[in-house]
Amino acid sequence: METSMWLALISIALGTYLLRLFPYLWMKGALMKKQVEGGINAMPSWITILGPMMIAAMFGTSLAPAHLDTVSWLATAAGTLATFAVWARTRSMGLPVLCGVATFGMIMLWH
Amino acid sequence: MSSLTRQLAGTPWLQGVKDAIPLLGGYIPVAISFGLISIQSGFSVLETILISTFIYAGASQFLFVAMAASGAPLWLVVIMTLLINARHIVYGPNLAPYLNDDKRWIPLMHGLTDQIFALAHARLPLLPEKERLGWYTGAAALAWFSWIGGTALGAIAGGELTQRWPLISEVLPFALPALFLVLIVPRCTSLLWSATIALSAVTALILKITGYPNMAIPLAAISGAVLFYALKNQHFLGEH
Repeated sequence: METSMWLALISIALGTYLLRLFPYLWMKGALMKKQVEGGINAMPSWITILGPMMIAAMFGTSLAPAHLDTVSWLATAAGTLATFAVWARTRSMGLPVLCGVATFGMIMLWH
Repeated sequence: MSSLTRQLAGTPWLQGVKDAIPLLGGYIPVAISFGLISIQSGFSVLETILISTFIYAGASQFLFVAMAASGAPLWLVVIMTLLINARHIVYGPNLAPYLNDDKRWIPLMHGLTDQIFALAHARLPLLPEKERLGWYTGAAALAWFSWIGGTALGAIAGGELTQRWPLISEVLPFALPALFLVLIVPRCTSLLWSATIALSAVTALILKITGYPNMAIPLAAISGAVLFYALKNQHFLGEH
């Protein structure tokens, strides 16, 4: 790899790290400054709303199957329903994910 | 169970590792694909592993190797990859209220990926303050090492692996939507939150399948937030 490519790699790595670090440091400083008990009240409300929306959006993008055919959509729907059904019964994390993947996999394999 | 095992089972970092296990189903197949594509784009095994170790951001890594291989100007490669990662600016502030002043959080921010954010956002508020650093370290370390390990595997033997076990790349990635579902459903505490979360998810899905994968997450999240503000004073939606 040429020097210029290494420089690009280092710039992206450093830039990505700073994108993760600086906003955290900024908010930490703002929270300390306000000295509010249960600091979440000191956060701008748009940040507390955007956080869950980002997770919802990640859920949406990750739902898109690799191949947009009927079986993949069926497996996706069944896997999602199975995950939700097991979560509703157990309120846990591991088992619903396992059952969701198993249901998805069985339909893909059956096909 | 030995006394050592019992002792470890109670440690926060081990709980973090346990909670992050579902991430492996999504991380490892994607990391294997990245390793394979990076080698095909002309990077060496060592370079490929270093990209995953230090950039550690899926979509932008794929863009980096694709643009670099196509001969795009490097300044444009840097700008485009950082633009894709700009969504990360929301993550740290959302977790900040739950993190103490320990300086070790500063290097640990390297591990704040989409999935670790989603996991931490759901789990950290439920943990006692003194356990959060250990929990996060365990979860983030497992995710990071699985990403690096998957990349190495893909770079060294990716072609053979995906040929022999095509289901690795077809079935296991469903662990990610399943995990995100489990993390987001408890947030649906009112009709307002349910409606806006559903809008974000559906918008993101539509954007992804219509060919805008990189813009899907930020645009869909902003749509959901805008709807939230538009509806939040509608009392019938249950938000107080």
